[in-house]
Amino acid sequence: MGPPKRFKKDNDKGKWKKRKEDHDEYFDDDHGDGGDTEGIPDAAKNDIEKQDEGAVEDEFGAKDYRSQMILKPDNSSRPLWVAPNGHIFLESFSPVYKHAHDFLIAISEPVCRPEHIHEYKLTAYSLYAAVSVGLQTHDIIEYLKRLSKTSIPDGIIEFIQLCTLSYGKVKLVLKHNKYFVESPFPEVLQKLLKDPVIQECRLRRNLDETDKDGFITNVQDKTKAPQFGTKTSATATPTTAPAPAEGNGEQPSAEPVAVPEDISTFYDKIDKEDEDEEEEAQLKTVSFEVNQEKIEVIQKRCIELEHPLLAEYDFRNDTVNPDINFDLKPSAVLRPYQEKSLRKMFGNGRARSGVIVLPCGAGKSLVGVTACCTVRKRALVLCNSGVSVEQWKQQFKMWSTADDSMICRFTSEAKDKPMGCGILVTTYSMITHTQKRSWEAEQTMKWLQEQEWGIMVLDEVHTIPAKMFRRVLTIVQSHCKLGLTATLLREDDKIADLNFLIGPKLYEANWLELQKRGFIARVQCAEVWCPMTPEFYREYLSCKTSKKLLLYVMNPSKFRCCQYLIRYHERRGDKTIVFSDNVFALKHYAIKMNKPYIYGPTSQSERIQILQNFKFNTKVNTIFVSKVADTSFDLPEANVLIQISSHGGSRRQEAQRLGRILRAKKGAIAEEYNAFFYTLVSQDTMEMNYSRKRQRFLVNQGYAYKVITKLAGMDEEPDLMYKTREEQGQLLQQVLSASDMDADEERIPGEGPRPAMRRPGNMASMSGADDTVYYEYKKSAASSTANKHPLFKKFRT
Amino acid sequence: MVNVMKGILVECDAAMKQFLLHLDETFALGKKFIIQDLDERHLFISADILETLQTKVDDLMDQISFPLADKGL
Repeated sequence: MGPPKRFKKDNDKGKWKKRKEDHDEYFDDDHGDGGDTEGIPDAAKNDIEKQDEGAVEDEFGAKDYRSQMILKPDNSSRPLWVAPNGHIFLESFSPVYKHAHDFLIAISEPVCRPEHIHEYKLTAYSLYAAVSVGLQTHDIIEYLKRLSKTSIPDGIIEFIQLCTLSYGKVKLVLKHNKYFVESPFPEVLQKLLKDPVIQECRLRRNLDETDKDGFITNVQDKTKAPQFGTKTSATATPTTAPAPAEGNGEQPSAEPVAVPEDISTFYDKIDKEDEDEEEEAQLKTVSFEVNQEKIEVIQKRCIELEHPLLAEYDFRNDTVNPDINFDLKPSAVLRPYQEKSLRKMFGNGRARSGVIVLPCGAGKSLVGVTACCTVRKRALVLCNSGVSVEQWKQQFKMWSTADDSMICRFTSEAKDKPMGCGILVTTYSMITHTQKRSWEAEQTMKWLQEQEWGIMVLDEVHTIPAKMFRRVLTIVQSHCKLGLTATLLREDDKIADLNFLIGPKLYEANWLELQKRGFIARVQCAEVWCPMTPEFYREYLSCKTSKKLLLYVMNPSKFRCCQYLIRYHERRGDKTIVFSDNVFALKHYAIKMNKPYIYGPTSQSERIQILQNFKFNTKVNTIFVSKVADTSFDLPEANVLIQISSHGGSRRQEAQRLGRILRAKKGAIAEEYNAFFYTLVSQDTMEMNYSRKRQRFLVNQGYAYKVITKLAGMDEEPDLMYKTREEQGQLLQQVLSASDMDADEERIPGEGPRPAMRRPGNMASMSGADDTVYYEYKKSAASSTANKHPLFKKFRT
Repeated sequence: MVNVMKGILVECDAAMKQFLLHLDETFALGKKFIIQDLDERHLFISADILETLQTKVDDLMDQISFPLADKGL
């Protein structure tokens, strides 16, 4: 990233920002590819980016918004700029930062959050999410007006109204296992009911409580509906208290002058509404019942009518599904941000579906466990791999009172008896498996499909392709869905799908803030430049692409840097993980340095043995892993990560890998940095390009990369390998003789398309006649008689 | 007979020298331009090629760097 962003009063940087939008588009949404636009409300298709086309640009591409935004006289005490193209800039040093930050997280997507100025962006989805957590159109506009240094451009107000007015007005509620469409606005329901499709879906019953419109009216006395946290356990309550106090109580009183009155009072109001919707609870709501079989139809139709149904689950009044008796242990204390994210989910005493985004190592599993404990119905946890299934089970046992008999694992290795258990932990591939299963698995699947699940927790939700996910949804009946992830981004544009398949993003944490408060490790990110040796570079220039990769990964200077860093950190007593996507390099490095390594074919028992040694054996301080360890390998001890090869320019992988060392370390406050993330890059090769690409996500989270061109002290280090030309030459020979398969990255089964394999062959083998030679069986006649009836045998031959 | 050629001394790191040699061998600039290969980090090249060579090296640098400022961090 360049120098810190600076502001030129009200004409902020335009052109490069503008261009960046084209680029960023693929992770907010791209409706370009047909078919996918179906099921997305019209309002979401509006592109607010184009609204600033009239603005005058100066020679640097900065836009002049002065005509559209009028600076307020007391602008210095207000923290926001709201640009006409939907971008919002927040001063993080402002005394009202805290207020504005919480609000912005609710209504917009964070784009970039370095130290001083944060950039957010209003999108249709973010506004949708805002409405679904209970904010009202009027409040959003009003609060935005108060926080802004300038007047709010008309286009933005229109956009907000357009996106929020129709959203969130109707809810699909599951009560007593009947589906109701519920709304506080009778006129909206009437409008919906005029639609013939929806009329068909409606289920009429002769009930006394229906009024002349046929609506079921009920005045909810939600005061008795307890807030999240009060019921879960006694210890959860004290943790609830400090969070709001931090939010609005203390800060303004510390700096009373700086906070404009209207901001803080309004914030209090919004905050209260957000936390306990007492006022709203008294609202009269009207509802009509829906035929359960036509849920899909009505959901789709409502989206077309611009009134998407929000799915909520009134789990406390669900008497049909049995309560599962488990609770959080008293020792489980939620951190403020975990608390906050869960409060968004259970805000009004019901469970909303949605996605919670927390950095790796910030305790996603605890959030998942707590959500399950709050709902207290049958829970289904889906994760990526067999290893993480085990980890989830452990987490459940660690944080909650659930014991072995209640938790059932369902993987290819471990199949517990599902009947009578409360929590089922399995993998995505296990559920969506289409080939033949074992009898045992078949039974479990049958059982699973028959159940009505209270909550479904989807771990690492960004990794599953939408298609697979749709399959999961058709198989599993669940009342509410909670997606957990660290990096809500993909190199393709499938994130938008998640919005509608699971629900809106409920919460996203700020990485730097968590780091400052010691919840995650302080990481120093460094990019180490390793010069290519002349021989390797020569080959690099003249060979074909697949070999190039191998050449820059196997670069002897890189090997030496790696070896030096490992030794350096071993002397410090650190635990180091070395990542390599390329298996050839992984093996070579590990065997040369005599360290244990794990990759795809490593057996489960060997993996566990290596990981256990890494955890507890002081002699094993370094392990080499391939990309199998990218996600869900819990290695809390590791604090140094060295990356020698990676998957192209994948931002997600970079973030996931960083996550391996993010778990908070002991003595977090004592040192400036307590974790190190090195990426070794061969100079003058494509790797430089990839590395830059990969860093974008973390840079947007506020991380800074330090570029190291020369490792100090490396020359003094004795007996590093590949010092002499001869040794380097031998290595080069090895690399050149490696096959194309070696140059490939490791493929994990079930991920991506099948790799194309190249093997020598001839025309015969192409036509399938490789080892079949045409052959006339002389005895064919004789042998054919062998099977014949004795009667015929007699007459023939 | 004495042939006079105007040349330029190029000092670069070892990898970059390989790049120049590569360009020379593959006739990427249309002709051979290295007059003398001096040592690991020095080359003597003909002067008239300088401009095209510079753009070629710039191209290489563009290829391996990802425009952060343009595409937004």
